[in-house]
Amino acid sequence: MDEAVRLDQVAKIYPLGQTEVVALRNVSLTIRSGEFTTIAGPSGCGKSTLLNLIGCMDQPTSGEVYIETKPISTLKDRELTRLRLEKLGFIFQSFNLIPVLSVEQNIEFPLLIQGRHSAQERKKRVQKLIEEVDLVAQSHQRSHELSGGQRQRVAIARALVTSPRLVLADEPTANLDSATGTRIISLMKDINKHHGTTFIFSTHGPQVMEHASRIIRLKDGYVVS
Amino acid sequence: MTIFSLLIKVSLRNLSLYRLRTGMIGGLIGFGAWLAIIGMSLLRDIETSMRTSITESIAGDLQVYSGKAKDELALFGGGFMGRADIGALDDFSVVQKVALNHPNVAAFIPLGLEMAMIGRGNEMDDLVTSLRASLASGDQGLIAERLEQIRFQIEQLKNEQNIKKQVVVDQAEVDKNLEEIQKSLSPGFLQHLDEERLQFLEIKIAPLSGEKAPIYLAYFATDMELYKQNFSKFKVLEGEELPPGQRGLMLGRKVREEQLKNKVARLFDQLHKRVIMGGAKIAKDDEARRDSQDLVRQFDQIMSYLDRPEAEALSQQLATFGISGQTGDLDLIHKLTSQVKSFLEVTDENLPVRYQWFYSNIAPKIKLYELSPGDTVVLRSYTKSGYIKSIPVKVYGVFGFDGLENAALAGGLSLLDLVTFRELYGQMTDASREELKAMREKVKVREISRSQAEDALFGGSSPVETAKQDAVNSETSPEEPLRAAPVLAASFGSEEVKKGLALSSALILKDFSKLQETAAELKEQFKQAQLDLRVVDWQKAAGTVGQFVNIVRGVLLFAIFIIFLVALVIINNSIVVSTFHRIKEIGTMRAIGAQRSFVLGMILIESGVSGLIGASLGSLVSWLMLVACQRWGIAAGNDFLTFLFSGPRLYPKIYWDILLVAPVAIGLIATIASLYAARFAANIAPIEAMQERE
Repeated sequence: MDEAVRLDQVAKIYPLGQTEVVALRNVSLTIRSGEFTTIAGPSGCGKSTLLNLIGCMDQPTSGEVYIETKPISTLKDRELTRLRLEKLGFIFQSFNLIPVLSVEQNIEFPLLIQGRHSAQERKKRVQKLIEEVDLVAQSHQRSHELSGGQRQRVAIARALVTSPRLVLADEPTANLDSATGTRIISLMKDINKHHGTTFIFSTHGPQVMEHASRIIRLKDGYVVS
Repeated sequence: MTIFSLLIKVSLRNLSLYRLRTGMIGGLIGFGAWLAIIGMSLLRDIETSMRTSITESIAGDLQVYSGKAKDELALFGGGFMGRADIGALDDFSVVQKVALNHPNVAAFIPLGLEMAMIGRGNEMDDLVTSLRASLASGDQGLIAERLEQIRFQIEQLKNEQNIKKQVVVDQAEVDKNLEEIQKSLSPGFLQHLDEERLQFLEIKIAPLSGEKAPIYLAYFATDMELYKQNFSKFKVLEGEELPPGQRGLMLGRKVREEQLKNKVARLFDQLHKRVIMGGAKIAKDDEARRDSQDLVRQFDQIMSYLDRPEAEALSQQLATFGISGQTGDLDLIHKLTSQVKSFLEVTDENLPVRYQWFYSNIAPKIKLYELSPGDTVVLRSYTKSGYIKSIPVKVYGVFGFDGLENAALAGGLSLLDLVTFRELYGQMTDASREELKAMREKVKVREISRSQAEDALFGGSSPVETAKQDAVNSETSPEEPLRAAPVLAASFGSEEVKKGLALSSALILKDFSKLQETAAELKEQFKQAQLDLRVVDWQKAAGTVGQFVNIVRGVLLFAIFIIFLVALVIINNSIVVSTFHRIKEIGTMRAIGAQRSFVLGMILIESGVSGLIGASLGSLVSWLMLVACQRWGIAAGNDFLTFLFSGPRLYPKIYWDILLVAPVAIGLIATIASLYAARFAANIAPIEAMQERE
């Protein structure tokens, strides 16, 4: 299998007043395409920092992050943004839908930014994903009319609409009840199985971890296992 | 949905989400747009009416004057006798020839704008003058009538002095006056008038009825024929037109109404305008109150024009009208004075009736205007070399400008023939050369050139000869007193106004839109012809008044600039604040792949749309206001506004270019103004999407 993400001696240090907080200490790991990986560990262990670095939203203090073997430290903001748009999908803990837009429009959003698909193509892709995440009845509703689980399904559809190679999810079930959380994880797992999309998600819920094909455990900025 | 409609949609959502901010920015922009539109429209109206009243009365489109001028040409500027020194065109026909070579110059009209004094005698002076005339004519009936008028006037003076005696400290002075009055009223004095007695009346009695301040008459002199051809708004309102080739004066209507009209009539006119037409209340309106108080004090402006029969008739009429004055055993003068005084006590209620009554019953009995067509007036002016030149001219008529009835600028000038102007200016004309020659003949002055002056003064030849010559001179002098009776002819050759001196010249263009180019080209043409001249446009030529619109425009633009400065700060501030509420949303957009430019565009559209909505609303309000003003007019609340509006009400035009361009420009400025805030939003890091803070 191809290499999706590789971290080489990655460290991240945040300045905090006079002192520094070390979030990640020389982490090296490789995630291959099609893996369904969870990053586990207690709060403050560096899960989010790791995801931010993989998600090209932050730069490591030292070391290098490779997305599909390409080092990201050399890329400018424009190129990083382009990389996120084309190769990555994001699912957030608190869903982060755009309030004014309907379910359909939220899902369509990344395609519109890409700006290279015809209206027909966009509609086809959006409809397919709406069916997949089972929101046909809600497709014209706004996010505030939806339940938490429905919102997260919209977010998943939005993350997948550009057919990214890698989807990053930061505690996607944290704001959901456990039953809904389990359904969300199952959905992600299904997609992983059918599309071969690589998933990396952080969690500290044990029932979520059960679904993972690989678990990376973090503690105090180290990879424990 | 395209990315653009997505941007619009997100932007509009934010606008409605932050309604207060939207309203504030929109309101501010709207106010700015309103101010800009209303201000610009009114300014353009004022500029147009001002331009018409300046260019179509005397200024023409361009003015040409001497390059040696010490001051800048200010047709309507300048003070009293201290007019600006704008040099002179020694022979305008040379300039005319060059100017008319330019394809865009339609006409060239020579002008001389100057001031002259009109010395004014009082009514007593006038009466004695007409008495002298009737004595000369020998018409006994006329003489008797004049004498009666004079006697009646002297009786009035006696009353005045008696009243004065009760209030002044210098009793001796009054006693002396009374003694002289008594002398003139003594039996036989007026019956047997000789030169000595006439002079006594002129020197001792006439001054008692008061001195009048001289009138300063601003005039323009021109070639009547050329002027009439090119200034079609010129219109004779009374009397006749000044015929070409004749010496003469035409009075501006406004000058006559405001400077030469009887004071009582003028005050009645002003009160009529403010109270009857304008709806002001005497008690509440400062100007109307001042006028009404002044009116009562001007009773002698009626009294001094009446002779005894007229006074008796007026007293009767006033009694019939319901004003009997003081009761008791009073003589006519006392009785009528008290009647007139109480007639002049006007209130809001009685004003309309008294105004009418004054014009139908009193006005015909008095001299309503100091000068009327047919009169002859002596114009006095300081010549360039500093001595006073006096020239009598006939008043031919009163003129105005069609459609510019209320334009203060043009109406303030009278019109004089070019030749008389040149003489007042101190230039030798054919006629004045004749006059000088005649005077020289009389006094036997020899023409002495400068080189011979020394010889002539101290004698080159024997002293005996000089003495002899002196003797000849002194022999003639006492017998034949020097009489510099004017030999000035009333007319002059038409050739004389076709060339010679003028102070400036008005140029009429064929195509007004090429004003500035033509001015520049003319300058070049004059330079090539080696003429040292200045060419200025009408606005500059009009002096401070012409620049006024530019000054107001400057103030207006500055006010708009300040409003936008404030708007800019508020817009940026409110966008930054609202951006803080949206950090996570913007971060999310950035995280899922929106470029900075997308965020920048989103914020700019937000402020652009709110700016455009505000500006459009401001535009709409302005349009409605202009439509309303067009219908009812904007009242000129004071004289200054009357002057600006060229009338009592301004009916603004609607300029679609201003109405349409202003909101777009202002919306655009608002958009650009929010650039700082938009950059701030665009710099939000994608990582903000991950922050868990609600």
